[in-house]
Parts: sequence; structure tokens; C-alpha cells
Amino acid sequence: MKEEKDMLKSDELMEANKELAFQHVEKEKRAAELGIANRELVFQNGEKEKRAEELIIANKELVFQNGEKEKRAEELRIANKELAFQNDEKEKRAAELIIANKELVFQNEEKEKRAEELRIANKELAFQNDEKEKRAAELIIANKELAFQNEEKEKRAAELIIANKELLAFTYISSHDLQEPLRKIQTFVTVILENENENLSEKGKHNFLRMQLAAGRMQQLIEDLLAFSRISTTDHKFEKADLGIIIEEIKADLKDTMQDKHAIIDAIDLSPANIIPFQFRQLMYNLISNALKFSRPDIPAYIIIRSKIVRGNKLNNPKLSSEKKYCHIVVKDNGIGFEPEFRERIFEVFQKLHSKEVYAGTGIGLAIVKKIVENHNGMITATSELNKGATFDMYIPAD
Amino acid sequence: MDPKEQRVALRILLADDDIDDCEFFRGALDEFFLFTHFTAVHDGEQLMHLLTNETDELPQVIFLDLNMPRKNGFECLAAIKLNGKLNHLPIIMYSTSLEQEVVNQLYRNGAHNFIRKPSDFSSFKKIIRQALTLITQGNVTQPLRENFVLTA
Repeated sequence: MKEEKDMLKSDELMEANKELAFQHVEKEKRAAELGIANRELVFQNGEKEKRAEELIIANKELVFQNGEKEKRAEELRIANKELAFQNDEKEKRAAELIIANKELVFQNEEKEKRAEELRIANKELAFQNDEKEKRAAELIIANKELAFQNEEKEKRAAELIIANKELLAFTYISSHDLQEPLRKIQTFVTVILENENENLSEKGKHNFLRMQLAAGRMQQLIEDLLAFSRISTTDHKFEKADLGIIIEEIKADLKDTMQDKHAIIDAIDLSPANIIPFQFRQLMYNLISNALKFSRPDIPAYIIIRSKIVRGNKLNNPKLSSEKKYCHIVVKDNGIGFEPEFRERIFEVFQKLHSKEVYAGTGIGLAIVKKIVENHNGMITATSELNKGATFDMYIPAD
Repeated sequence: MDPKEQRVALRILLADDDIDDCEFFRGALDEFFLFTHFTAVHDGEQLMHLLTNETDELPQVIFLDLNMPRKNGFECLAAIKLNGKLNHLPIIMYSTSLEQEVVNQLYRNGAHNFIRKPSDFSSFKKIIRQALTLITQGNVTQPLRENFVLTA
């Protein structure tokens, strides 16, 4: 038994050796393979280190890029906020624009309405314009006609002025020249009555006396006509004059008549007046001598003369300008007067209310008075009742 | 002095174109003036010729009508008053009408008196006599204005 056991042990050792040799070969194979693998690993390591190196670089790059991206992200956040704000603003603006737009739409509508109205109004105006043009054309024609008529009137007026001047000159010259032969007739009558007295029958003498009276009336008529035309032709020179002096002169002229009529002239409180003295003397003379002539035979003649400066609105006469000042002159008598219906007519030429046998006169005296008042741009009125005296009111502009 | 007692004839010159008026004038003189030397001319030219020919003796008074042919009374008055040899002569203007303005102008021009020819013969004689009496009394200077117009 031990040999068997040793024999068995050697086999086992051989087998283990063989196994170990195999394992050794295997291990060498493995080592070679490990060498190769190692070399491979070294290579791979190298590669991996290169890769690692590259990765480090790439990593750095990524870190940098990351930083950049964060910066960009930050900038984008800010830009984003800004955009959000702008967006808000734009929305607000948009809201406002919507409101404004609505308003514009409304206004637009209104404007269209207005435009429509204007179109209508425009049509109306165009129509009216047409009408006006027609009217204007008619007016131009009417105007031309008026201008023509005006020219004709001016011509006629100029002709009338000339005719009037000629007429006055004619009146003056004829009156003047008429005096000459009339005076001859009168003188010859007196020569005959004086020298041929004994040769004339009573009837013949009477007829000569009647002839003398008629010639006397004609003389008065011519003189009055001359006076009437003279006040139209002579110069009109206005002066501030004292009426009292004029009246005193007239009283002196009419002294004899005043004595016959026991007349009193009561002329006080006379304001000075802006008058043509020569003409006004004639005017006052005519009025006073009329008052004396038409005095009542049963009572003394009493003539009141007053004058004062009064504003037109105080004078109760619509024909006077209320703002102007007038010299209001009154001549009032207590004579026979006249019926009120004659108050205008007495101022007309040749108008008489009595026959020449009762009251001598030519009917020119008051026409002269009126003409003189008109030469003074004034007016005269007469007021009377039969047997109750007469009042003459004159209004002469005082400015 | 009454004009009838005048010894030397008063030389009167009348310038009037109206024959009747000349007759009236002569008739008036005949009644009250014994010694007058009366001459009548009938227009202004004749008057001026007579006054300036230096052969006739000058009149002592001239009655001068206003309205005359060829040269009227106004012109004659002016010519006489401008002539140194004649301007002392009293000129009595003599007319049918009496115009205040005409009378004023004649007075300014140096006329001696103004007579309006009256329409009855006795007044005519009276006024001529009045005018001549003034002259024979030696009133040859121009009177005051208020005494210029003579009335019968």
C-alpha cells in the first residue's frame, strides 16, 4: 500500500505537473495576451488621456460658452422685460387708438352728415347766386337808366338855374325900364293938371286924377317887383346884427304912419341874430308896416316883437331840426287879422285878402318876407283869427 | 341967396339921353332961374367931349343921368373924377330908380348928390331948385352920406 499510494501520488504529480506546465503556457499566453492587452491599454490610456486632454479643452470651451450663454440669457431677460414693457405700452396705445378710432369714425359720420348738409346749402347758395346775378344784371340796367335819368335831371336843373337867373334878370331889368315911361306919364299928367287946369272940364280933371292913381299903383307894383327880384339876386352876406337897431330905424321911417295909428311897438329882450342885415330890415319893415296897415280903426295899434335863441326840440315844430339852435322871432299885432284858412296863401305873390280900395297894396310884401326867411334858411308861420290880431313866428338858424 | 338974384348966369350942364326929361328940366329952370346957361348933351361921349375940348367954359354943375347910350353915368363920373382939371366939378347923379347899392357906390365914387327923378312935375321943380340952391350957396364939397340923396 504505500507504493501504490506513492505510485498513485507520482501519477497525480505528473498530472499536476502537466497541469502546471499547461497552466504555465496558458499563463504565458495570458501574459502575452496581457502584454498585448496592456499595450493596448497603454495605447488606449494614451488615447484616453488625449481624449481627456481634449475633453478638458472642450470642457473649458463649454464653460466659456456656458458663461457666454448665461450673459446672453441675462441680456435676453433684460430685453425680454423691455419687450414686455413695450408690449404693455403698445397695448395701452392700441386701446387708446381703438378709442380714438371710434371717435374718428363718429366724427367721420358727423362730417359726412355735415358735408351732405353743405352740399344742400351749396345748391341753395348756387341757386341764390344765380338769382342774385339775375337781380344784379337787372340792377345794372336799372342803374344805367337811373344814371341816365339823373343826367337828364341835372341838365334840366342846370337849365332851370339858368332860366331862373334869366327870369330874375328879366324881372329886374324890365321893372327898371318900366319905371321910366311910367314916370313920364305921371309927370305929364301933373304938367297938364298944372298948366292946362283952366282948359279942362271937371270930368276931364277927374279922369286925369284917376289916371294918376292908377299910375301910382303901377309904380308901387313895379317897385315891389323890383324889391322881390332884388332879394333873389343880391349878395347874401350874413352878419351878427342887433334887431333892436333895425327896429329903431324902421320906427323912424314909419314915424308918420305910427302917429296916425297911435301905434306902439313893444320890442324888448331881443337877442342878436345871424342875418343878412339889408334883407332883414326889409323883412321887419314889411311885417311892421303890414301890422300898421291892417290895424283896427277902433283901437291903437300895438305891435309886440320878441326874439330869443331856442333849441329846435323846444319849438313844437316838426319841420325844425331838434338839435339845431334857432333864433325865434315873433311879430304880433292886435289888428284885423285874417281867417285861419289863409295862413299859407298870404305868403304867395300877388295874393291879397282885401280890395285895393279898402287896403292899398300889391300883394308882394309877405312874399318878400317869406323869400327873405328862406334866404336865411329859416321858416315862417302865420297864425290868426279874424279881428283877433296876427302873429308871425320866424325861425332863423342860429348856429 | 335966392338963385333968381344971381347976376352971372349959372352954367348948368345936363347929360341925359331922354328928350322928355331934358324938356322937364328946361321947364323947371325956366320957372325959377333967370340967369342960367343951360346945355344938354344926350350921351356920355358927348359929355366927355364937351368937358375936355378946352374951348368952352366949364360948367359949374353937372346933372348926370345914369343910363345913357355909349358911355353911362357911372363911366362918366369915374372919368371926371380921374381928370385933375374936372374933378372939382360937383356932379349931381340923376336917375329914375333908386338902388341902395348903386347910390352907395356913386357916393364912394365922389358924386355930389343923388336925385331920384320924381314922378310929378312940382316935385321935379322943387328938387332941381333945392340942388341948384345948394350949388349957388357954394356947397361944392361932397356932403355927408345921409345928406347925399335929395328928396322933394
